[in-house]
Amino acid sequence: MLDQPAAQLPVSQRTNPERSFTEEVRALRLGDGELFRGEGILAVTKAILQSGVAYVGGYQGAPVSHLVDVLVESQDLLDELGVHLETCTNESSAAALLGASINYPMRGCVTWKSIVGTNVAADALSNLASPGVIGGALIVVGEDYGEGASVIQERTQAYALKSSVWLMDPRPSLPTIVRCTEKAFELSEATNTPVMMELRIRACHVTGEFVAKDNVPPAISRNHRLAEPAAHNYDRISHPPSTYAHEKIKVEVRQPAAERFIVEHGLNEHLPGERSDLGIIVQGGITNVLVRGLDRLEVGGRIPTLVLNVTHPLAPDQIADFCRGKRAVLVVEEGAPDYIEQAVHVLLRKRDIDTKIYGKDVLPMAGEYTAEVVTEGLLKFFAQSANDIDLSGPRERFEAARAGRAEAQRLLGGPLPLRPPGFCVGCPERPVFSAIKLLEREVGKVHISSDIGCHSFATLAPFNLGNSILGFGMSLAAAGAVAPVMQKRTISVMGDGGFWHNGLLSGVASSMFNRGDRVLVIMQNGYTSATGAQFIPNTSGNRRDGQTTSDIAATLKAMGVGWLRTIRTYNVGTMLKTLREAMSTEHKGLKVIVADGECQLARQRRIRPQIAAQLKRGERVVRTRYGVDDEVCTGDHSCIRLSGCPSLVVKPNPDPLRSDPVASVNNGCVGCGLCGEVADAAVLCPSFYRADIVQNATWWDRLKWKVRSKVIGAMAGA
Amino acid sequence: MPKHITLLIGALGGDGGGVLCDWIVSAAQSRGLGVQATQIPGVAQRTGATTYYVEVMPVGAAPSSVLALNPAIGEVDVALATELLEAGRMIFNGFVTPDRTTLIASTHRVLAIGERMAMGDGSFDVGRLLRAVKERSREQILFDMDQAAEESGGVLNAVLLGALAGSGRVPIPDSAFEAAIRHAGKSVDTNLAAFAFGRGHARGELDQAVREHRKRQTAVQGAEDLIERARRAYPAASLDVVEEGIRRLTAYQDRRYAALYLDRLDTIQALGSAELLREVARHLAVRMSFEDVIRVALAKTAADRMARVRAEVRAKEQEPLEITEHFKPGIEEIAAVLPPPLARRLLAWGQRTGRLGKTYFSMHVRTTTILGFARLRLVAGLRWWRPRTSRYVEEQAEIERWLGQIRDAAPLGLDLAREITESARLIKGYGDTHKRGLGNYRRIADEVIAPALAGRMTPRAAADAVANARVAALADPEGQSLSTTLAAIATATPPLRQAAE
Repeated sequence: MLDQPAAQLPVSQRTNPERSFTEEVRALRLGDGELFRGEGILAVTKAILQSGVAYVGGYQGAPVSHLVDVLVESQDLLDELGVHLETCTNESSAAALLGASINYPMRGCVTWKSIVGTNVAADALSNLASPGVIGGALIVVGEDYGEGASVIQERTQAYALKSSVWLMDPRPSLPTIVRCTEKAFELSEATNTPVMMELRIRACHVTGEFVAKDNVPPAISRNHRLAEPAAHNYDRISHPPSTYAHEKIKVEVRQPAAERFIVEHGLNEHLPGERSDLGIIVQGGITNVLVRGLDRLEVGGRIPTLVLNVTHPLAPDQIADFCRGKRAVLVVEEGAPDYIEQAVHVLLRKRDIDTKIYGKDVLPMAGEYTAEVVTEGLLKFFAQSANDIDLSGPRERFEAARAGRAEAQRLLGGPLPLRPPGFCVGCPERPVFSAIKLLEREVGKVHISSDIGCHSFATLAPFNLGNSILGFGMSLAAAGAVAPVMQKRTISVMGDGGFWHNGLLSGVASSMFNRGDRVLVIMQNGYTSATGAQFIPNTSGNRRDGQTTSDIAATLKAMGVGWLRTIRTYNVGTMLKTLREAMSTEHKGLKVIVADGECQLARQRRIRPQIAAQLKRGERVVRTRYGVDDEVCTGDHSCIRLSGCPSLVVKPNPDPLRSDPVASVNNGCVGCGLCGEVADAAVLCPSFYRADIVQNATWWDRLKWKVRSKVIGAMAGA
Repeated sequence: MPKHITLLIGALGGDGGGVLCDWIVSAAQSRGLGVQATQIPGVAQRTGATTYYVEVMPVGAAPSSVLALNPAIGEVDVALATELLEAGRMIFNGFVTPDRTTLIASTHRVLAIGERMAMGDGSFDVGRLLRAVKERSREQILFDMDQAAEESGGVLNAVLLGALAGSGRVPIPDSAFEAAIRHAGKSVDTNLAAFAFGRGHARGELDQAVREHRKRQTAVQGAEDLIERARRAYPAASLDVVEEGIRRLTAYQDRRYAALYLDRLDTIQALGSAELLREVARHLAVRMSFEDVIRVALAKTAADRMARVRAEVRAKEQEPLEITEHFKPGIEEIAAVLPPPLARRLLAWGQRTGRLGKTYFSMHVRTTTILGFARLRLVAGLRWWRPRTSRYVEEQAEIERWLGQIRDAAPLGLDLAREITESARLIKGYGDTHKRGLGNYRRIADEVIAPALAGRMTPRAAADAVANARVAALADPEGQSLSTTLAAIATATPPLRQAAE
């Protein structure tokens, strides 16, 4: 079973070889005139290499993880070009990386998930934006907004505005995305300002093609090193009095320059239309939804449209010229607040242009601009601004579709059962929460401070454990003022990803410093699994020499943590005992349980090919999995409520006298043993059995088996 | 301008929806068709729902034309689902419409966690799903693709791709899809096989043996005369249940015990409702074959078990198999097999020393070893001793109390009697589960059934009350909804005095 070390790999040796991007890596090598085919985010990756980027960095997070992931696998190419790749431990170190472009004419690109990543990066970002850059600096942010988003719904635009960083929001078509990426570096250099480019989830994953160019080796690089550092120049240090000058330069020099660049290089697109009295101004990223909406209303290609591939700064004259002489203009801007709409109002007002501006009055202030939302907004806009357009046909179809949906929902008697994300089959984190549930049976409810990572799935069914999430690596800090007012100790849960990202200092150091009497459970699975199993300092994460950088337990000891236990997670009994002790020990101060178990997803990726090879070679392999005796199971499903393993399912009761479905283990089982462990620890029922199937059995296995079967068969017959 | 074709794919993390998407895209590209796909991957491999959206331009479409990234209600030509509930979800969200959408979906169910964790049967009504599928889509291609994948030796997403090809709704020939699978280069042969299966089903060239969930009858000798007796005495409609009851109890204990079963049923038969008789027969047989260690040992050492396990864990012909059972008897389990006086003493001692509910003996018995099997066989052989055990005595008393309530209720109203019968469902399982179930049943008996039998509710109201309480008892393990329901019933029930007037 997996709680036996033999079946597990020590954390320092955990690597994740299977995940490979061979196809993608090949695409990055395409040269002049060749056709690139792939997803949006990969197109960006190719475009930065075509732009002669000298260094790349970032912190993983959907939907932009692939940018760094693919480059990690492209080490040869990067070495040829001399591009430096930094797999940062959080977004603020990624933002700080761009500091290289303050003093040196080098192009750099970093990436992270926004809004959360931008929040973490904010300090470095301000200090970067103030002195500005001489080498093009691009920040590719995944705008994790709308359906499928996993973070707080806020706009990156706010950061662009307050830090005077330019923000691109390219129309989601590969040629446009690529052009914007290349232009972003030029814009950055022409205005000494870092540029952010936001890509929504669907845009990152959109497939398409564009004609590639050769990659450009940077002039200054690992391969062409500088003999001397830049001369000392206090203007480039974000410290007073420079900062006062920087503030003025931002608005007096850089922004006007940017506005000129945007117009001169045609970064924003103008889609013509014969209705010169009307117009639409739309964020580049929303263009496709808008265009399809107009087609739906049979006015496609008739309404002049200004596509803002750059949403900060706006080019005031461009917008004024677009609006001048029009009766009504609709601003299609997703999310709140309505920064662009407000800006348009102001710049028209100042020019005494009396075009009526529609926006958040016909479109919702908050929420994703889906096809349905935009269509409804357009219907309202035209109804109020151009009732000469006959929309009766389209409106009927639209209403019919909605009525149909209502009918469907009536038929289904909905709502349908939800499918919240849960732990993978055999996940090492699941047993910890099973143990916490059992602990709560003994001591009652406990305040649980949750964190970001796979383990946040414990806040969902069937565990429903967790009182708050305050951000990545923040769970211990978030218990700071709860623990002192609780009779029972609080439990903070944190992943090893979160620990290195922020938890070490914001959480552990602060708790130690304040003598906090709290319990911290660190899930040591060896990767940032939720973002695609990237390496971290406590795995063999240094992708170059495979040596582990840092060990969590050693780090905690060094910081003076007095109560520290490292437990293999799968043994629920031991985990329960340890939690019990942590909750009741006389030891004041921080109590840390390092819950160790390799990410099962990564583990399966690693061992599947190995096992396949062993079987091929005819070697003896024992396959372990679990099962349920359907005759013994009575269909209460406590086991499922305490585990929720996807391979622990229910099936119709084979008993002709019973109706309740019985539990069953399907073939997804990886034999982690949790179901048996839980049945044991919770004293559930004797239905579970463990089966060890001997593949490529030896003659001795076979002989034993034959003899036993004979005897047992005889006994069973008796 | 010829219209683009829109495809929406609903899948579960790990179903390979992304790969399916890639196959479609590369097949379309190989035909020079404009194509665009995007996805909301959800949290891949982590059981969440994922969606993919594809638009294919027909031949001769302008390459510059803008393709959408979001599906629109009423504008989906082909909806593909790897599982039936996900098909239902696309319908629920208005993307599948009778005027336009071809729905290609697997009919198998992968229950969501909310459905699985219910204390009884929590699965969503498949009938509703199928009705919506039929009424809310233009045409349907439905079959169990999970099974088809298994039969073909491939994976589900390739079957789905085959079904799409077979549907003929996209201007892409089979050869292009097959080329896409080959180009992807991963487990090509099995995927091609699965693809062919899916296409065959879609074209109606293959039909599927419906996967039946067979009910297992107990095999036993020496109860023929009892079965005869039942056949003479009871209506045919109840016999399938009664006969299984006889067989089960003969195997569980002996003929005498099975005869007792019939004697008990005779008193219900006298109430004159065939339907009630059938229901009582069903529950009575289950209650009389209560789960004690002897029964478990019997089940784990049954002659046909090894074959069943081998099939379930997919052990091949030549592969030896080790089975390890998880047992964890506690003081109560031991007391259960002792005679009542001894059991009482042991439990009292457990109470005193605080060991009760704390001390357990964790045993991992290997039933594939001769000694391990023999140990369980020995326990299974204790049947003769069972009637002397405290558990047996308790269970019989409980059963008589329950039958008495049914008999008293019948004259008041058959509905009430039926609901009391059905409430036996609550009593099941082992250890805490059994304790909780029995506790809930007793609460309902004291707080609802007793007042009802005392005539303090109309029989109809009483029947509803019992039904509601039963449903509430199965709602949550903590018993909160049961408490609230019982409280509500209590307030609705007039206190004894008034009833007496």
